[in-house]
Amino acid sequence: MDKVKTNEKFSKRQKLISLTPIIGLVILLILYVVIGIIKDINFKAGFEAIVNQSVILAIVATGAIFIFTLGSFDISLGASTLVSACAGGLVYNATGSVALMLLTCVAASLAASLVSSVLGSIFNLPVFVTTVAMMSVLSAVSEMLITGKGGNQIRISGLSGLENIWVKLIFLVIFTAICVFVFEFTKVGRRQKALGGNPVCAKLTGISVKTYAILAFIMAGVGIGLGGFLTAVRASTITSGTASDIGMNIFIAIVFGGMPISGGPRSRIYAAIIGSFSIRILSQILTMLLAAVPGANGIAQIVRAIFFLAMVYLASMNYRTKMLPR
Amino acid sequence: MVSSVRERKNGEVLLTVSDMTKTFGPVTALKNVGMTLKRGDVLGLIGENGSGKSTVSSIIAGMQTADSGNMTFLGEKWEPQSMLDALENGVGMIVQESGTIAGVSVAENIFLGELSQFSKFGIVNRKNLNEAANSVLRNIGVENVTGEMPMAALDFQARKLIEIAKVVMKEPEILIVDETTTALSQHGREVLYKIIDRYRAENRAVIFISHDLDEILEVCDTLTVLRDGNMIRTFEKSEFDADDIRTSMIGREMQGDYYRSDFVPTREDEIALKVDNVVVSGHVNGVSVEVHRGEILGIGGLSHCGMHTLGKVMFGAVAPDSGKVVLSDGTEVKNEFVAMKKMLGYVSKDRDNESLILSASVKDNIAVAGMEKYAVNNFIILDGREKKYVDGQIDSLSIKCSSRNQAVQTLSGGNKQKVVFGKWVGRGSEILILDCPTRGVDIGVKQAMYQLMVKLKGEGKSIVMISEELPELIGMSDRLVIMKDGKVTKEFQRSKDLSDAEIIKYMI
Repeated sequence: MDKVKTNEKFSKRQKLISLTPIIGLVILLILYVVIGIIKDINFKAGFEAIVNQSVILAIVATGAIFIFTLGSFDISLGASTLVSACAGGLVYNATGSVALMLLTCVAASLAASLVSSVLGSIFNLPVFVTTVAMMSVLSAVSEMLITGKGGNQIRISGLSGLENIWVKLIFLVIFTAICVFVFEFTKVGRRQKALGGNPVCAKLTGISVKTYAILAFIMAGVGIGLGGFLTAVRASTITSGTASDIGMNIFIAIVFGGMPISGGPRSRIYAAIIGSFSIRILSQILTMLLAAVPGANGIAQIVRAIFFLAMVYLASMNYRTKMLPR
Repeated sequence: MVSSVRERKNGEVLLTVSDMTKTFGPVTALKNVGMTLKRGDVLGLIGENGSGKSTVSSIIAGMQTADSGNMTFLGEKWEPQSMLDALENGVGMIVQESGTIAGVSVAENIFLGELSQFSKFGIVNRKNLNEAANSVLRNIGVENVTGEMPMAALDFQARKLIEIAKVVMKEPEILIVDETTTALSQHGREVLYKIIDRYRAENRAVIFISHDLDEILEVCDTLTVLRDGNMIRTFEKSEFDADDIRTSMIGREMQGDYYRSDFVPTREDEIALKVDNVVVSGHVNGVSVEVHRGEILGIGGLSHCGMHTLGKVMFGAVAPDSGKVVLSDGTEVKNEFVAMKKMLGYVSKDRDNESLILSASVKDNIAVAGMEKYAVNNFIILDGREKKYVDGQIDSLSIKCSSRNQAVQTLSGGNKQKVVFGKWVGRGSEILILDCPTRGVDIGVKQAMYQLMVKLKGEGKSIVMISEELPELIGMSDRLVIMKDGKVTKEFQRSKDLSDAEIIKYMI
């Protein structure tokens, strides 16, 4: 009887911890509404801003989950998104074709991702190392694309019809559905998780580390390409500072969403979505609360750091079970 | 130190444990356990996986705390705050899993946290440090390891000996040896047995945990049996009887055969796998061996004889410098991918690091190798089919888990090993390479493994059983290949007359 009670208590605690990111998102949403009412904000504009900011982050983060699942990290995500947006913008300006622009965005980011992962495979390096090098290369490439025609920005006009929340949400839903399918319902996803959990064991189960690293970067590349496309559509003017914070924000977002930082079998695609929306809502709340406070930006950064640490701790509690010594 | 302030009188009570209870989440690991340890005593703790042996000893050694109960050490309340605290105050434990740090030297491992005694103005005198480490190692009889060696260069056994040295140099009054001998070859075991003999002679005490009943009967003076967290019975040396002890351990008389009951080597004519003159520098030196369908091929030898490397070569996990491994259809096993495709399975000696994803569930571990069995079009995973596949393995192997979603790291050693077996048996492996398949598992699980091997043999599967335990090699193999210094020194056919003594001379 005692054992049954303990068992129930244990599994309830586990469930509660695993639900923390969703509970956190709901609490943040409630806080946003309550504070918004007090501050008398325009909710329609507010929610639009949240969705606009969240979707691009969520799409890139969703693709990047495949890399994080391997226990790896891509530091060049922001630079890759920028190159993708630049390439797409230039093609659109040259051809006026949205389809070609989208294809170019995806092709550019896929190329960058493949170079990172294939280089890692050839030289037997952790892919994180090659992404560090790629970050510099991609920054240089984007600089060349931006300044190639003499200016310091790429202006894109005529895409305002696509600057629409529903278009963005459709992109997010379709890409997320594809990722969930691959991640949760195919051999690829299962093997990615196994590799992240124990690469030695995975190798001894016939899973190729190199192949699945490349596949992870391909999925991430598609996400970056879509993110780059939406960035170009939204920004209308691309400079070297565009998407500069996306890399670090993705890392924070997926941790907010409950992803174990070591990757592995407990990785979840939804962490990217929940985390991206949570981090943006939190930013909006802090903006409302700290609008009149001197040094608001710095305080907001500190608050985000505290939330980040709290989420890492909570996420780790779920899998950091006490070892049963036998 | 405790030893310096007290005279050691034989028979004096050193440690008492009373009413100790401990739970881990859903599992009650100990229920009102009590025991007494006296000076000069070598107390064996024995029980099936999950019986609570390691839990009670780890609480005594300060690794964790009990939920309730009391302990006394030398008549005073014993509540160690950590393993270090326990060690400094007279109780040291050699842990079951590896407790060394790979990235530093042997000497730094031995004197971890105590380097200040070798440093001046923050600079460590490496010469003195290494000499001190060498002295510690020589004192326990380890000759072939030196202080300056990088830990990563040592094999599993040598790392275990470093752990032993680390604990024993502190001269604790109670030494707890938890499942240590399974990682040791005969030489390593002799090092440990000498330490135990010294402890007995000096009127200290040892708690010795092992699954090897023969060993425990040889080494221990008294024996306490635990089952499902309960203390079942304590046997005095005069009461030692292997059958009685087994019955106490599993709570019933063992049904069916332990090893194979027949003594006739049988196999089919077809050669399933052929190792052709394989050389792996420093490990395997020109080994050729064949495994037939329906055959259990035993490979034995001392730990460093090359047999563990040979097992990895057979599975394609280690590429030979020369020679090859070929299957019956002519396919050369060049890597693990080919091995998987051709239905080979490999159970590593290093179960936790090489055969399991500890943070993953039972389901994930079993399912990952068998996806071609249940995936739609060998690609799409449907939850229902996957669960059915996994539940089939959990049921057929009687894996004790609260659910298929339980993390493997919370299972006992025997059940972890069953998960590994489930992973390979479930996918229908035609050739199974089992490297020390019963390492660290209790006799109940061992018997289940042996019976499974017999069943698989009957189905025409080929089994390569690499082991350091001669009784199981003799008891299970159709043919037994003995290796020494990377070479095959002798081949024996199955026979009831085959003895340890006859085999050992080809091993050493």
